[in-house]
Amino acid sequence: MQPEQLYRRYQELQQYVGWTEEDAKRVQSVAELLQLQLPALIDDFYEEIDRHPDARKVITGGKEQVQRLKGTLLRWIEELLSGPYDMNYVVRRWKVGWRHVEIGLDQVYTNVALSRLRRGLLRALEDCLHDDPQEVLAVRRSLNVLIDLDLAIIEDAYQAEYLARQQRTERLAAIGQVAGGVAHELRNPLNVVKTSVYYLLNAKNPTAEKKAEHLGRIERNVILADNVITALSNFAKLPVPNLRPFVLKQCLGEALETISLPAKIQVRAELPDSLAPVLGDIDLIRIVLSNLIRNARDAMPDGGCLTITAGEADRSVEVAFTDTGIGISAENLSRIMEPLYTTKARGLGLGLSIARAILDKNKGSLRVVSQPGQGSTFTVRLLAAPE
Amino acid sequence: MNNGVPSILVVDDDVDTCRNLSDILTDLGYRVDVAHEGLSALDLVRRNHYDVALLDLKMPGMDGVTLYREIKRLRAGTVAIIVSAYASSATAEEALTAGAWQVVAKPIDLTKLLGLVDEAVGQPLLLVVDDDQDLCQSLWDVLRERGYRVYLAHDERQAAEHLKEASFRVVLIDMRLPRGDGGSVFHLVRDANPQARTVLITGHRSETEQAVQQVLKEGANAVCYKPFDIPNLLTTLEGLVEQD
Repeated sequence: MQPEQLYRRYQELQQYVGWTEEDAKRVQSVAELLQLQLPALIDDFYEEIDRHPDARKVITGGKEQVQRLKGTLLRWIEELLSGPYDMNYVVRRWKVGWRHVEIGLDQVYTNVALSRLRRGLLRALEDCLHDDPQEVLAVRRSLNVLIDLDLAIIEDAYQAEYLARQQRTERLAAIGQVAGGVAHELRNPLNVVKTSVYYLLNAKNPTAEKKAEHLGRIERNVILADNVITALSNFAKLPVPNLRPFVLKQCLGEALETISLPAKIQVRAELPDSLAPVLGDIDLIRIVLSNLIRNARDAMPDGGCLTITAGEADRSVEVAFTDTGIGISAENLSRIMEPLYTTKARGLGLGLSIARAILDKNKGSLRVVSQPGQGSTFTVRLLAAPE
Repeated sequence: MNNGVPSILVVDDDVDTCRNLSDILTDLGYRVDVAHEGLSALDLVRRNHYDVALLDLKMPGMDGVTLYREIKRLRAGTVAIIVSAYASSATAEEALTAGAWQVVAKPIDLTKLLGLVDEAVGQPLLLVVDDDQDLCQSLWDVLRERGYRVYLAHDERQAAEHLKEASFRVVLIDMRLPRGDGGSVFHLVRDANPQARTVLITGHRSETEQAVQQVLKEGANAVCYKPFDIPNLLTTLEGLVEQD
């Protein structure tokens, strides 16, 4: 975050807790008095850290580092007491939280450490002003608010940095996953191309038919490799949908035509002719339907029946794909729509996540119920076209 | 019997990959069978001897390493080369631990792969006939390490089956078997694999000595006493293989 932004945020927080110039003056008025007590406070603070292994483990530099840290803590308290509570002050507080993420110090230690320091400071305050309990109370209130504000900024920085780091790690993991999936899906067609070329170059007595067969295979596998890349880029950048009314039955027919289904799989498409037209991008919805049909096919390696039904409900149209396949375990069910998650030996694991992304953009939705060993039903919901 | 033509089993769920490898290997004079998943591959392995199995690592149903473990139980003498589109060292290690000989990456470097197939086919084929399964497994590891292809038989019937299907360079025969005995296995070898050398193994020196002497007289090449002196056994084997 930019320093100006940080400072604005700090000012907002000050307003929220009712911090005033008066509070600042009150704290500053005791700065000099408390100064003498600070070294003892700080020594006590680090002795306490030494008693907690999880807190101690972030101090890796031995006595020298502790000496340095004591200096830093002293400056921090001096600043706390004397101000000015300006932009630089806030930026330095922010850095404390950021640094804690970097060294792996759990935020709970910041909270309890500040609690300990707070108690020490307040006790020192009582010792110095023992003859004026009224004033002690007033300074106490101000000092408490000030420490809470510091803690809020440190906490804020901690969370922001922690999140940023987590996202970076997840991004790297996702890249690794994509690379693995792409490697497998591309190396298989490349392998075919390579071996066909080897055959054509080295075979001793290839017939004309064999040569033609291998050339055809090369072409087919180049297309397969290209499809992998298309699927990936489709996913990375879905086109903006062109929402128009269309007839679902026609779209389903086109989807079914492009997919080769083995004879042992029976398809029962039972869409009534009277079904209301739907609103959506027919080219994108066709991808959704195709992905669901292909999944149903893959779920029934030993054959079975795919039943496709449709109905209208509440200004929308639902089409359901029910297979009699292997079903999906509860554990997998929660993850199947994640990109790159797959239980198949072949495939990138993008089919369902693409389907869901498309339906989101087409104001539709996708839901699934499944019974392991019995089969699954995927239901697509689309808006009915206005009459 | 394989008529001297080396046989290769290719297993990959990618039909095109199988066709290509089959075309290339057939063109080079190998006999090639193809399967697209583990169960049909095992059907083939039950019926035929294969010198080499080229197994895709990632297939629907049974993966390549699991398939190899099953093949090894049926025909420990088949040399496995695992083909993988993932270049992960963890899976490679798992495959090698299971006893696979090599792991090669897709897209396949064919010059390298064909070189490996040729080398595997040239490795001397041994048969160990012993009812002690642990001993068989240990011997398998030791001999495989030395570049022998090793079939295992635990009784006379299994020995007879293997002898029908492949031609062995050396057969190691335990003199005492639960069904049958070393002498009759020796006769089986002489009938089915007359070119094979034979090494008798025995742990019951006094009880089997007479039978051992008898079989040696009939032409067995050597005798090794249990517990094995492994270096000695290896030297004996080397000598017998080199004589060819």
